[in-house]
Amino acid sequence: MTIDAVYLLQLTLNGITLGLLYALIAVGLSLIFGVMEIINFAHGELLMLGAFAMAFALPVTGLLYWPAMAAAVLCTMVAGFVVYETLLVRLKTDEFERSILITLGLSIVLIHVMQYFFTATPRIIDTQYGFDGVDIGSIRITWTRVIGAVAALVAFAGLYLILRFTQFGRAMRAIAQNREAALMVGIRPRVVARNAVVLAAGLCGLAGAAIAPIQLVTPYMGQFLIFKAFALVIIGGLGNIPGAVIAAIALGLIENWIGGFFTIAWQDASVFVIMIVVLFLRPDGLFKRGGMRVG
Amino acid sequence: MSAVLQVSDLRKAYAGVHALDGVSFEVEGGSITGLIGPNGSGKSTTIDCISGFQKLDSGKVVLAGNDITGKVSHLIARAGMMRTFQTVRVYEKLSLRDNLAIAAQQFDPATWVDEFLRTRRYRDAVTASEKRARQLVELIGLQKYYDIETGILSYGQKKLVALAAALMPHPKIVVLDEPVAGVNPSRIREIEVALQQLNQAGETFLIVEHNVEFITTLCHKVIVLDQGLKLAEGTAAEIHADSRVLEAYLGTTPEVAEEEMRASA
Amino acid sequence: MKLVLAIAAALAFAALPFLSGSNYIVGVGTSALIFTVAAAALNLIYGFTGLLSFAQLGFWGIGGYATALTVVTFGGNFWTGVLAAAAINAVVALVVGYPMLRTSRHAFVISTLTFALLVSLIARDWVDLTRGPLGIPDLPPPRAFGHVFSSTHQFYGIAWAFSVAMLAFLYVLCSSRIGRTLVAIKQNEPLVRAQGISPMPYKLAAFSISAAITGAAGGVFVFHLGIVDPLILDFYYMQTFLIIVIIGGTGSFWGVVVSGVALSALPEALRFSDDFRMIIYGVILVVAMFAMPSGVAGWLRERELARLRASLR
Repeated sequence: MTIDAVYLLQLTLNGITLGLLYALIAVGLSLIFGVMEIINFAHGELLMLGAFAMAFALPVTGLLYWPAMAAAVLCTMVAGFVVYETLLVRLKTDEFERSILITLGLSIVLIHVMQYFFTATPRIIDTQYGFDGVDIGSIRITWTRVIGAVAALVAFAGLYLILRFTQFGRAMRAIAQNREAALMVGIRPRVVARNAVVLAAGLCGLAGAAIAPIQLVTPYMGQFLIFKAFALVIIGGLGNIPGAVIAAIALGLIENWIGGFFTIAWQDASVFVIMIVVLFLRPDGLFKRGGMRVG
Repeated sequence: MSAVLQVSDLRKAYAGVHALDGVSFEVEGGSITGLIGPNGSGKSTTIDCISGFQKLDSGKVVLAGNDITGKVSHLIARAGMMRTFQTVRVYEKLSLRDNLAIAAQQFDPATWVDEFLRTRRYRDAVTASEKRARQLVELIGLQKYYDIETGILSYGQKKLVALAAALMPHPKIVVLDEPVAGVNPSRIREIEVALQQLNQAGETFLIVEHNVEFITTLCHKVIVLDQGLKLAEGTAAEIHADSRVLEAYLGTTPEVAEEEMRASA
Repeated sequence: MKLVLAIAAALAFAALPFLSGSNYIVGVGTSALIFTVAAAALNLIYGFTGLLSFAQLGFWGIGGYATALTVVTFGGNFWTGVLAAAAINAVVALVVGYPMLRTSRHAFVISTLTFALLVSLIARDWVDLTRGPLGIPDLPPPRAFGHVFSSTHQFYGIAWAFSVAMLAFLYVLCSSRIGRTLVAIKQNEPLVRAQGISPMPYKLAAFSISAAITGAAGGVFVFHLGIVDPLILDFYYMQTFLIIVIIGGTGSFWGVVVSGVALSALPEALRFSDDFRMIIYGVILVVAMFAMPSGVAGWLRERELARLRASLR
């Protein structure tokens, strides 16, 4: 088989887009883990809520992309706030297994409530851009993909600025680096943890809104994505945000390349195989945790 | 008497900072040896390194003629060194009986095959362990808690449980990490008496402690660490008279320091 | 006392097919027995050893496929199939367990989850071996000494004997020194090491034994269903096992056995709709984690301890 350069380019561009969206999910998980040392199993369902919010907001906004996306992000941030204040706030540190089981229960409830009301039938989401796209030679990348990637990049830039330069971003990093010391200088863990969860939920909602027009929207859409994101967070080193981003983009590329030349089976399995190999070689992930470095 | 534990030229650095900068000492068999020093002097690092809970950079640790340098913690324990922890560690949801039985089980010859077949070897091991446990429980005065989960005991009582557990397998040396820190002062005397009785019965102890009076009344030999170096070594009286020790320990003149030492005890 | 009760309960369960002529009720009883075994195996690794393993789902599926393939593809029978399922799982657990157990306990949980997903992908996509999404239907009923266990009532006998044997084995294991050491590892690993015990072999053994039993249970279960397909790896099974263990009380052998039998009947009692049932499962999980984090058995024990504490003052 000769490798067609244009085909390869298309796979690469799609891979980068997909990788950036994975990164949005994985970064949220990593952020929450860094601050609270817990895993949010319902994170994928936040993404699903974001996608559904996008689906319902688009007709209201007259298919306008940006307002609908803003509504979806707002919606998941509120959901994140509620999840934190009702459930996660009751967790003590070092209750990792408990956090998983609680958020697993939440995830089951969310999936099936959505399925009960909106059925499992996949929805196709139309936006103002339809299937238009940008043509590069003989290939076409749809606008929804380009914009999804751009939105993700903007979100990362925003996250970087928040963690680096704002008071509450610095507080998050402080807690992630040294919990005891952070408490001693008067950082309130509850407020910081809530901010982290809301921020992570917002990123996840953005990912959901961006994915909605690219893929089908179903109540189960979050589940498979989140399992991949878990693997990414492990590969990148738990709690390591740049590690998660790098791993996510690499995975997007690898999946698309594999998907382009092999069967779909290998595409889905690749992340899990990679994770097991990484754990075998480096039990702490590719990039050591070492607090929450942002640059 | 011969040395049970020989530590030579122990070195350990964290990110370039020397926590231990060549510490050497010996512990005689049947003695009680104290290890004191101000905060950050390297006491805890020393015992974590010799018991395998931290990796040492260089140096040599010999336990009863066996080189245990750099071995993992459970192998060092099997070689005959049992230790306790600064923040008390017991199995809170197991009874005192089980706490003590687990501490000895690695050291008896019964395998799981013996257990499932209930062989003579298994029964003998259990009987011996039970007998030892009863003796120790009597010594620490917790008989009435024998079948109760240790989680309900007070902090000081848990320290006693940890001490008894460390003694269960007749170790060659017992390393105690701050055995009286956080213990109600009225109980410290009880621990002191228990340790003296055990020592008279032939047990060897290495004790790290902040409480200077506790160390000086109990120990045959005291080693003083400061900034990762051995500052002095000798009997309690010699240490007491050493002005360098007082200065390092309290950073003041000997007279004031002695005053504070008495007050703190 | 507990043992007498347990024997009485086991005999009462043996009598079920003679009391009820309904295939439906006896079928529910069969599932209940098998689920209880799988939950008890999860209790060994999670409740006793403190390692939350989602890999159980993968082992359950591997067991189901291994048993079915032994019979259909490799010309064995049901009994050798179940043995093969247990053996394969034990080996797989040792191989994947070692790198997983070397990581942090956080990474362990995620990697076991990944393992389960990988198994479900293989079941779906390795069509040459597993026949893909269609699965292997019409599994023949087991036979022994010229007798064919073809009816639901007859198969119940197999499930009963299997679960009694597995639970008895797990009981002996959990109440032995090994079981006690697993509890110690869960409670305080540094102390275990300071007492000369290396935790790794114990953890690996618990993981592997738990995998073997779960696999055998999965094998018996697919012959109860009569078909094995990728749905055997549905997350629903894992959730059921987890809920049984959590409601019963992590680390309590009898608590989990009782809740296994009781809760396996629950999905049947709650036959509103699948969605509604799952919603109730989720709510139970969340509420239980807050109201009774250590299950019914743990709750009873807390009360007993509180009384003890009061009497010692």
